[in-house]
Amino acid sequence: MTKFQHKLYISLFVAVTLLSLVLIVYYGYSYYTLPLEERFFSPLHNNFKPSGFIGHGLGIIGSFMMLLGVVIYMVRKRVKSFHRYGILKYWLELHIFLCTLGPILVLFHTAFKFGGIVSVSFWSMVAVFLSGIIGRFIYVRIPRTIQGVELDLREVDDINNNYSLTLREKYNVDENILLQIENFANQKYKGSLSVKNILFIVVKDYFRRKSNLRMIKKSLINAGVSRRKVNEIKKISKQKMLLSNRISYLRVFQSLFKYWHIVHLPFALVMLIIMLVHIGVTVTFGYKWIF
Amino acid sequence: MIGILANFNIYAQISPGELSKAHANLEGLSKCTSCHVLGKDVENAKCLKCHTEIAELINLKKGYHASKEVSNQNCWKCHGEHFGRKFQIIRFDEKKFDHSKSGFVLKGKHKTIKCEKCHNPNLINNKKLKKKEKTFLGLETNCASCHEDVHQNTLGKNCENCHNEEKFKPAVKFNHNKAKFKLTGSHKKVKCDKCHKIINKNGKKFQKFTNVKFSSCNSCHKDPHKGKFGKKCSSCHNTVSFKKVNNLKGFNHSKTNFPLIGKHRKVKCETCHKGGLSYRPKYQFCYNCHSDYHNGEFKNQNGIRDCSYCHSEKGFSASTFTIKMHDKTHFKLENAHIAVPCFSCHKKENKWHFKIKGDKCIACHSNVHGSKISGKYFDENKCQSCHSTLSWNSVKFDHHSTGFDLLGAHKKVNCKSCHFKKDGSGKTEQHFSDLNSNCSQCHNDVHYGQFTSGKSETCTKCHTFDNWKPALFDHNKTRFILDGAHVKVACSQCHRLKERNGVQFIQYKIEDVRCISCHS
Repeated sequence: MTKFQHKLYISLFVAVTLLSLVLIVYYGYSYYTLPLEERFFSPLHNNFKPSGFIGHGLGIIGSFMMLLGVVIYMVRKRVKSFHRYGILKYWLELHIFLCTLGPILVLFHTAFKFGGIVSVSFWSMVAVFLSGIIGRFIYVRIPRTIQGVELDLREVDDINNNYSLTLREKYNVDENILLQIENFANQKYKGSLSVKNILFIVVKDYFRRKSNLRMIKKSLINAGVSRRKVNEIKKISKQKMLLSNRISYLRVFQSLFKYWHIVHLPFALVMLIIMLVHIGVTVTFGYKWIF
Repeated sequence: MIGILANFNIYAQISPGELSKAHANLEGLSKCTSCHVLGKDVENAKCLKCHTEIAELINLKKGYHASKEVSNQNCWKCHGEHFGRKFQIIRFDEKKFDHSKSGFVLKGKHKTIKCEKCHNPNLINNKKLKKKEKTFLGLETNCASCHEDVHQNTLGKNCENCHNEEKFKPAVKFNHNKAKFKLTGSHKKVKCDKCHKIINKNGKKFQKFTNVKFSSCNSCHKDPHKGKFGKKCSSCHNTVSFKKVNNLKGFNHSKTNFPLIGKHRKVKCETCHKGGLSYRPKYQFCYNCHSDYHNGEFKNQNGIRDCSYCHSEKGFSASTFTIKMHDKTHFKLENAHIAVPCFSCHKKENKWHFKIKGDKCIACHSNVHGSKISGKYFDENKCQSCHSTLSWNSVKFDHHSTGFDLLGAHKKVNCKSCHFKKDGSGKTEQHFSDLNSNCSQCHNDVHYGQFTSGKSETCTKCHTFDNWKPALFDHNKTRFILDGAHVKVACSQCHRLKERNGVQFIQYKIEDVRCISCHS
């Protein structure tokens, strides 16, 4: 997949997600914002109630998307024979797409009624969804190959050196500026790192990095480097700084990622089990397949 | 997750939401099948198992739930659940509800009144339904189930035979002509309560529509004739108007307070009963009907004396006024006046006048004397000085008072002889105050002035009033004494007839008394 194709791939996910959200909100806003006691009397009730054609439909589609998102990603990731099918990163992005849009559709299926046994499933879904976002946050902070395999420190250092080489040879960056970039990349948190303060450090690094990049940009402009080149150099410098930071915090994030797996997966399982119970109950009480 | 599970009330958690307040007792896992049939929708039979009142109505094919539109629907289509305690399981839009589906079409006034006017526990008979809050069930469709029977069960239960739903009053569908007493004439316009009296019955206002007596007019109407004309009012009256009597064949006026007598019998009814035959004219006095011919002449301090004092029903004339009655007036009729016909005094210029002021003769009689009689004798037209009512001509006058006594032959002479004389033109002239005591005023001087000495008369020297003979004449006292043969000589031998100026007279006064004047 080329970069453009990847962008298109991601854009499609975002567009579908946003469009779905917009359409549901547009048509269902007046229903979903009604007090619970009033909904029955709304003309939209028959369609938008959880057992209505749209409401029930959203539940079925949303659940199916989540199941699909979980299953295909798990199968691709864990079953060896599927390893050869596509790049794991893309499967993860599909997983994220399906498991983002799915909960959104299910959210509207609930019509914002968060009670009963199915609410456990719902809140589990919410937990899985949120933990997914957190997981994604941790995940990207652990340097990996495009296949999702974690890189060791040596491999990471090689990448880091490659950045320096590119800056020096490809862009002929002035040695002083190069030194400035190296210095900025090597700036590290001086205190002890822990799970407790890592978020604070990450945020602090974010602002420091921005400030450093501004200074690099200034130096490059002063040195008479073209604007196009400045942006490219700035981009590589950012990657270098990010990589340097990630190297520094790698152990902490690796340890966090282990904990994350403990949370994300069980919630997903609880969600699935109770969802099945919910489906069983609804079928027991006479609700049938609507499509 | 543990937190979520900790709050997990297992039996309630299958439920998609809290039940409404009405069904709160059905909350709980073990009670799901109270309403739900496993594997199926919520079936109506489950609902109707509890809601027997609805089931009964559906079985009886009565009420809204038995209507075509509703009977085939699932209960849950209209009555949702699991929307929380506050959910109105019955939300009834009174304005949009098509009441005809309930089996009772709202018409007229029913369209405008508020629901609770009828859907009110007080009007529900079923004890179970009566206790239900805000129920629309339990009402009957007959009028009496909501409306008080103001007729107190006297007119049956089919209110719609007489009333419509627009207004209770008037009972527009009621046709009085279908009743035993058909309304004709003015009865059509009479207000109902005139005949159908509003009374108090059982402590309530009650208008009597049954057992109203109508066999005779007297049942409702008072007999103004107090039974004089019997009970069959229709023999004279009809129903158009009591006052317009159109049938008089059986009417006997003699039974009234004013029996028709004399001329009244021939007078047309409407002459007196001007406002119609039932018009009751005043009849105490004749002038109640008749105009006062005498223009108030007989009005006294007590008012007008009634005509009957002088007239009777036999006719306006002749009057029943008698001389005796006349004598009671200030002018008693006496003597010749008795014989005088009334009109002589009382009719002037073809009109009767009875009120004659004063008692002077002049009021009736003209003063024929004018000013000819001296006021000394005829003061203030006092005719009685000379005349009396006995006769006009029987004059009673003391002629002595005039200084001229009537003596001798004068006593026998008619007054007219001296006082009424024809003048040259033949017109009679009166002479009273213009007369003096001279004989020549009445008598002619046959002696042709022979004895007149200046202005004075000398008649009485020879004549008396007894006759014309000169009883007082003594020839011997004249210048020529009769003696001798002269005594025997006839007077005419000497006093011969003479003519002067065409007038013949005997010459008594002979100036020349010598013999030769007679003898040759």
